[in-house]
Amino acid sequence: MKITKKIKALAAASLVVLAGTAQAEWEPKGNVSLQIGFGAGGSTDTIGRIVAQTMKEQTGWNVIAENKPGGGGIAMFTGIANRPADGTVIGLGVSMPILVNLVNRPDQLKFDLDSFDYLGTAARAQLALIARSDAPFDDVAGLVEYAKSNDAPIAFDAKPQELAMRFVMEQSGAEFQFMSTKGGAENAKLALGGQAIAAFEAGEHLPFLEAGDIKMLASMNKSRHNYAPDTPTLQEQGYDIYVDPVFFFATTAGTPSEAREALTAALAEALESDAVKEVVQNTLKSPIENMGPEGTEQMMRDGVTNVGALFAN
Amino acid sequence: MPELAIILAGLGDAFTPANLFFVFAGVFVGQFVGAVPGIGPIMAMAIAIPFTFGMDPLAGIGFLVGVNKGGLVGGAIPAVLLNTPGTPDAAATALDGHPLAQQGKPLKATKMALYSSVTGDTFSDIVLITVSAPLALLALRMGPVEVFGLMLLAFAVISGLMGPSLVKGIIAIALGLLAAMVGTDPEHGTPRLYFGQFELYDGIPLPAIAIGMLAISELLRRLSESRREGNPAVRLPRGQPREDSMVSWHEYWACRFTLARGAVIGTLLGALPGIGSTAAAFMSYATTKQAARDPSSFGKGNIHGIAATESANSAVMGANMIPLLTLGIPGSVGAALIISAFMIHGIQPGPFLFDTQGRLIYGLFGAMLLANLGNLIIGQVGLRFWVRVVSAPESFIFASALLMCFVGVYLTSGGLFGIGVMLAFAALAYVMTTLGISVVIFIIAFFLGPRLEVSLSQTLALLNGDPTKLLNYPVGLVLALIALVTTVFLARRNHDRADQT
Repeated sequence: MKITKKIKALAAASLVVLAGTAQAEWEPKGNVSLQIGFGAGGSTDTIGRIVAQTMKEQTGWNVIAENKPGGGGIAMFTGIANRPADGTVIGLGVSMPILVNLVNRPDQLKFDLDSFDYLGTAARAQLALIARSDAPFDDVAGLVEYAKSNDAPIAFDAKPQELAMRFVMEQSGAEFQFMSTKGGAENAKLALGGQAIAAFEAGEHLPFLEAGDIKMLASMNKSRHNYAPDTPTLQEQGYDIYVDPVFFFATTAGTPSEAREALTAALAEALESDAVKEVVQNTLKSPIENMGPEGTEQMMRDGVTNVGALFAN
Repeated sequence: MPELAIILAGLGDAFTPANLFFVFAGVFVGQFVGAVPGIGPIMAMAIAIPFTFGMDPLAGIGFLVGVNKGGLVGGAIPAVLLNTPGTPDAAATALDGHPLAQQGKPLKATKMALYSSVTGDTFSDIVLITVSAPLALLALRMGPVEVFGLMLLAFAVISGLMGPSLVKGIIAIALGLLAAMVGTDPEHGTPRLYFGQFELYDGIPLPAIAIGMLAISELLRRLSESRREGNPAVRLPRGQPREDSMVSWHEYWACRFTLARGAVIGTLLGALPGIGSTAAAFMSYATTKQAARDPSSFGKGNIHGIAATESANSAVMGANMIPLLTLGIPGSVGAALIISAFMIHGIQPGPFLFDTQGRLIYGLFGAMLLANLGNLIIGQVGLRFWVRVVSAPESFIFASALLMCFVGVYLTSGGLFGIGVMLAFAALAYVMTTLGISVVIFIIAFFLGPRLEVSLSQTLALLNGDPTKLLNYPVGLVLALIALVTTVFLARRNHDRADQT
């Protein structure tokens, strides 16, 4: 009898404690869906799944990772923009494809930059222009010289990469040929096999760089890469353009402020955990970089201007 | 090449009880999700990856390899028993596997699939372990022009499956290529044929098409034909002679050339990223049928048909690891998921891998061979289980398979949108079958279409407007020439046969 009484008392006490925390903190009604704008098995997918798992462990919310592929995140963000703003969904996408479509096809999209409340960023993809180490040049100027007297096929897997090099073509008068591929791994294959004279890589090239099979011509981002501080950016090499893909999180615009703050805080906490840090570093070869809600929104708005310049020609 | 001590230590790691457990658990999960139509090993691997982060690298990767390998065996089971492939890779297995099952020999058909699968897989694993470095170099030399030549050859070989009507075959290929064109155009990056649906930006989702056309249309047809009495979905005749429920050594040995051809085709195509096991299975099936003395017996339960497809699609799996481990290039979605598992542990596949992680790699090789053994053992028990399951009344079986297809496509292909696509293509498959247009040819053209287009666009970039530059690519030219000769040869033979009848 005594024992049951004790258990009852304990249960009552724990109920009081639980009720107390529920009042102080926002709790999602039901599951939180962390939607990944790409299919299973890429870097975005890996990051999304480890963040979802960590958030679930840290907050106790039932966070479920879901793949919503289509148009580099367009399909997923279309869905998020048109959901009730109740804090039960987080979208993980990459800035570049969203910005490219916002600039080129604004009338066909069912959202714009104001359709979202931004929550933070995971990291940026460090995009490099690389060549096989026996190529007769070491930088963009050398590549331009080479292209003036030879065929110069360049392997790329996303439109902005090609446009950045068209920008270089326009300014330098050299001529490149463009080989469209299905991803960074295929770019590496074409560069190593000698079919492409230069190629774009976002991390897949690091072991080849270490082995001395590949050299890096430029960082395509706004800043130099943490693993190659001596390789200048394309901007530093005299071409005022950059490609800066950032992995960012957003939810439906108009989400109540306490829900938004709870999601932002939960996300920030997950991004600071050792597991997420390690997985992001290992998959992207870039450190965690959380710009916070305001920083993320600013990054997207600045991005529209830069992408506008890319597509100006 | 690492020292012998490292190789032995690595292989020893694979045989610890914990690793044995994870590899076998992976095979079990893989066979299960492969055999249930709709979900498939890719989804299971994607879900499992974050959990492998907390595991020892070898155990985690061994588990994923087990799921991938188990899935290939599992996918053949519903293909044979219900004519509804669990994974697209097994679509070709249904061609002869299902007729054999309908003749009251479901155990024989599924066992042949299992043995062929394990044979092909083991062959390509041995190739991987012994000669991966030179093969990887060969794959690097296969540039866009050579891959385009190879794609032409693939289309030529598969045209041998067309059947008597050339016109209907061409209609099937054209429709398949048309469906493959939906999505972002590789040359200019603009979306085409997407009708304002951003879900179609990356193309029509593959699982939705494959399951809609191969499984849903078949399940609906069978449901509409099922009678009230509660017939079992697959009939196991009572007092069946033992040889009808097993594969004798004699029968297996009679398939040795078919198995070898399938294993070689699968290994070669697997070493080249992006072509895939579905195409390998159909190419092996088509060449086996054309090389056979009695091509007309194919499609009616010829055991060689099962041997050809299953040895080829499973051989792709081991060979996919060749570009993955040596160059860090995934050959398929399954391989890309295994790369993710390496990467979250901070291990980047590439040129250093054998030097820096020799012990892990040989541990992985040990795990791969163990997974083949696991497939054989778990498969033996599992097959009996599945055959028992499908001898339940067919209305139950078909209805629950239908439900699983919906769930699987919902999970993998963008929710309700994917289900809509699946149903639309199920209807298309129904119309095509009624008109006598081959659904299988359509699917292959759809699978190979994007790779054909990308390699054509890359080839054009390389030629840069000067066709004489083609002379710099002798291998590509030879492949294109073989494709032409094959087409002419097949057309003639079809013509002769039409004359005889």
